[in-house]
Amino acid sequence: MAVTTTAHSDASTKAGYPTVASRARGWALAAPNQLALRDKDLGIWHERTWGDIWDLVLDAAHGLLALGVDVGDRVSIQAEDIPEWVILDLATVAIRGINVGLYPTNPSAEVTYALNDSGAKVHLAEDQEQVDKVLDLPRDSYPTVSKVIYVEPRGVRSYEDDRLIFWDDFIAMGREHRNANANAVENRMGQAEAADVMTLVYTSGTTGPPKGAMITNANCQFAIELFGSTPERMPDGNVPNHKDSALTYLPLCHIAERIFSTWSFVGNGVVLHFGESVETVLSDLREVQPTLFFAVPRIWEKLHAAVVIKGSDSSPVKKLLFNQAMKTASWIGKERAANAGDWTVPTRIAYGIGYVTVFRALRERLGLRRVRYGGTGAAPIAPEVIEFFMGLGLNIYELYGMTENTAIATANLKGRVKVGTVGEPFDQIKDGLRIDETTGEIQVKHDGVFAGYWGKPEKTAETFTSDGWLMTGDVGEWVDGTHVRIIDRIKHIIITSGGKNISPSEIENTLKVSPFVNEAMVIGDGRKYLTALIGIELDTVGNWAQKQGLGYTTYRDLSEKPEVIALIKKEVDRTNEKFARVEGIKKFHLLPKELDHEDGETTATMKLKRSSMEEIFSDLVESMY
Amino acid sequence: MAFGRPLLRTSYEEDAAILPTAFQKAGVGFLILSLCLMALDAPIFGAIPRYFLGNTWLVPVGITLCFAIGALGINILVGVTGQVSLGHAFFMGTGAYTAVMLGGNLGDQESWKACVPFHDNLGLLERQGECGLGLPIWIWLPAAGLVAALIGIIVSPAAVKVRGLYLAIVTVGLVFIGLHLGRMLPEWAGDFESGRRWPKLDIRLWKEETPLIEMSEDGKWFGLINLTEEQKQFFFLLAIVIVMTLLAKNLVRSRTGRALQAIRDRDVAAEVMGVPEFKYKRLGFAISSFYAGIAGALFASFTGRVSPIDFGLLLSVDFIAILLIGGAGTIAGTLLGTVFVELLPNVVERLTEWLADQISTGGVTGTIADFLLTTGAAGDFGPISIAPTAPGWPMSVFFWNLVIYGVLIVVFLIFEPLGLFGIWIKFRNYWKGWPFSY
Repeated sequence: MAVTTTAHSDASTKAGYPTVASRARGWALAAPNQLALRDKDLGIWHERTWGDIWDLVLDAAHGLLALGVDVGDRVSIQAEDIPEWVILDLATVAIRGINVGLYPTNPSAEVTYALNDSGAKVHLAEDQEQVDKVLDLPRDSYPTVSKVIYVEPRGVRSYEDDRLIFWDDFIAMGREHRNANANAVENRMGQAEAADVMTLVYTSGTTGPPKGAMITNANCQFAIELFGSTPERMPDGNVPNHKDSALTYLPLCHIAERIFSTWSFVGNGVVLHFGESVETVLSDLREVQPTLFFAVPRIWEKLHAAVVIKGSDSSPVKKLLFNQAMKTASWIGKERAANAGDWTVPTRIAYGIGYVTVFRALRERLGLRRVRYGGTGAAPIAPEVIEFFMGLGLNIYELYGMTENTAIATANLKGRVKVGTVGEPFDQIKDGLRIDETTGEIQVKHDGVFAGYWGKPEKTAETFTSDGWLMTGDVGEWVDGTHVRIIDRIKHIIITSGGKNISPSEIENTLKVSPFVNEAMVIGDGRKYLTALIGIELDTVGNWAQKQGLGYTTYRDLSEKPEVIALIKKEVDRTNEKFARVEGIKKFHLLPKELDHEDGETTATMKLKRSSMEEIFSDLVESMY
Repeated sequence: MAFGRPLLRTSYEEDAAILPTAFQKAGVGFLILSLCLMALDAPIFGAIPRYFLGNTWLVPVGITLCFAIGALGINILVGVTGQVSLGHAFFMGTGAYTAVMLGGNLGDQESWKACVPFHDNLGLLERQGECGLGLPIWIWLPAAGLVAALIGIIVSPAAVKVRGLYLAIVTVGLVFIGLHLGRMLPEWAGDFESGRRWPKLDIRLWKEETPLIEMSEDGKWFGLINLTEEQKQFFFLLAIVIVMTLLAKNLVRSRTGRALQAIRDRDVAAEVMGVPEFKYKRLGFAISSFYAGIAGALFASFTGRVSPIDFGLLLSVDFIAILLIGGAGTIAGTLLGTVFVELLPNVVERLTEWLADQISTGGVTGTIADFLLTTGAAGDFGPISIAPTAPGWPMSVFFWNLVIYGVLIVVFLIFEPLGLFGIWIKFRNYWKGWPFSY
């Protein structure tokens, strides 16, 4: 479809502050026929060019204008990763609205909270499930929401509610508006200012209700510029570009996926791929074979477990070669970790041999064969996992950042990797990161630091020091004066009754390296010794039990088997060996259920809600003391 | 198209491509090219079939090509639609006799003996039968398929009434009806033992003297290249096989093909899901019989003279063997099975001849040959008889071949129901899954 906006963009008198929307327009003008994204629908990856995308964004933006969305109005989205997410996001920014992302897993109560807290005017609910979360409550529960856009009409068609509008009708409405008011969106874009809030990112809220962090156009501009102009973070020194592909699979409302998807998309022209659903991520990954792959530790751990388990299940000849390759890989991983992430001649040779027999096929199977940059962040990861993937020949870098600083703080850079640290502060913010000497807290101050929490000035004030530095809430330390090691969240540090300070997440992550352990929570604040609640990984432990000839019915049944407890005991002992005596886990208990966001045990990003966990499983905890 | 990402499909055309990867395209291209080179007796290539099948290898290979078309047909009925049929020989016969009636000699061209000489019931008096209409191949070949398809449609209601074993028995009935007709109508079928002559494969526009494309004599083709009669027929048959394979492959991946497969997997469930059972069973029979008719007509023409006996139950069983050994439901497996079943006996015979020659040379091969072969003379033992003896122990190569078939069918049914193709699938999956097993 032709881009019909060329004439209008000249007509706008002011250029406006660069936004994600104006960047998208830039691609559409410069390269309208360039591939922008692929979207998998009924087995086929449909391709869309930048011209198509910008055309849709304009229609959507006009649609929002037609719905009466004004400057600073909020437009919320609760959907899995679909192109419409990105299109509506860009459209909202184009008309100087504020995008609010919700996790698709957010239960009804949290949706109510987020929609009312942000005061969303228009809400996009992907399908019947999401629409129901809004429509099930009486109309006055959502005083501000005037329209609910749905993308998947199945089950929703028969609903009778004047707030509902189908995506296609919304776009058609926008097109009509566009024909009547050709320059309306362009004019709004021309008025864009640096201080405009572009999005509210709700923090995961491990304690208390979620808070909407206000990210401005300036924050976004700073992040895109910084990530786009730091070739040192890429192994081959080439910043992401239009030849790169990425799979969009983590929740788009999270700042990390926003940076690695939407912002790399408009900032660097990275081709985005939208798979069929969250359930198909592994097969989508194999099809797409992305070149840039960012994952949270949970995903890396799952991939690691899958390799270990599938490898142990393979036929004799394969197993022989596989085990040999794994030995090589672990040696390569250690060597590379010791060599700042770089290759050495012996590791190159060993990898070259292993590549022919196993590594190439293995990476192809995982969908990581073409990955030139692998990233991990958003939660702590065990060094063993990073070493494992380094051993498979992946260039994997740990980053650190948080919503409140637009995810800009530190990163491991090419040839300067220290496994176990989150890397060095970016050059651009060298003087913008400090570690408080008394508390050990990491504090930052740079252009990426957010504008505050939406509607919560007192909470905002609490996050800043008196001299205006953002308090991250993470305790860290310098390693060799250049790299930063995160010890834990301040709130999570355990002080035993003996007065010892212990970081639980390190112990937990070491436990989670085991393919059998899915979840672990170390307890011991104000207690004599440490204990742990451990959740087993149903797939792998189930597979193990089957091989042992152990019958089981449910998750609970499996986790109560003495054989399974003995299996996990071995993993706990292995972990204890790596830590000092006081950091050893004396007793542990297996969780009787899989943790779930809706039951209040974890956040939408599957982070443990520690206080409610201790409450829910208080009988288990007390039984260990 | 996404370069270097073979699993990333951007259109359904790409997803359903017959040869999805460049590697497969090159592989099939190379296969066809090498077949042509073999037939042209190119260096190295020409030596391969001659080594396994002897100097007259184009004859068994030509028959194999005809059978391949028949096998593609039975695969559509048995492998794809799931209707067990032993009547394939009857449909082939239908095609063959349609061909000879339409394309056979005109009576006035030569003496009546050239048409259908046969003996009366007492076997004493030689009598004259019907000649043909002398129509060109572009009429009689499609007609052979169409008439067979028509008979298939007439028979198909039986498949809706009865299933499985019962359907097999009903279709066996067809074969016996065919044999009976062959015996009853000698003026059409010729002598029951020796049969009658068939029209040549020459391509004519109408009934003119010199054919448009010469197929029955050695000589220059298109004024370009010198070819023997067998070479010309080989290329003609190969082209038809390629076309028929493409059609079959296309059918299987189409909406119709999916409907047929739904009927195979469970006809009642298919009907419930909106796949009309009768319509598609009828279609399965029609298409399958069409292939059979074409195959029968080509087979009879290529051989030159066949008798009704050739379209007996054994022929039907042969096709079932092809499916079971090759892999029912798969096109590649069907072709593989045809080659295996049709050519293996020739290879075994050739091997036996070679062994017989070895006896006189002595040495290790000579000892082995002496151990295996027997001339039937006293004191000479061995399981394979090379003497022109009656059936019985030791058996001749011909009977050994029958035994090998039986054993192969039993072994494949028990250990590898998907046939040769199943072995290939296992082999492929082993490497596909590397370094895992799933």
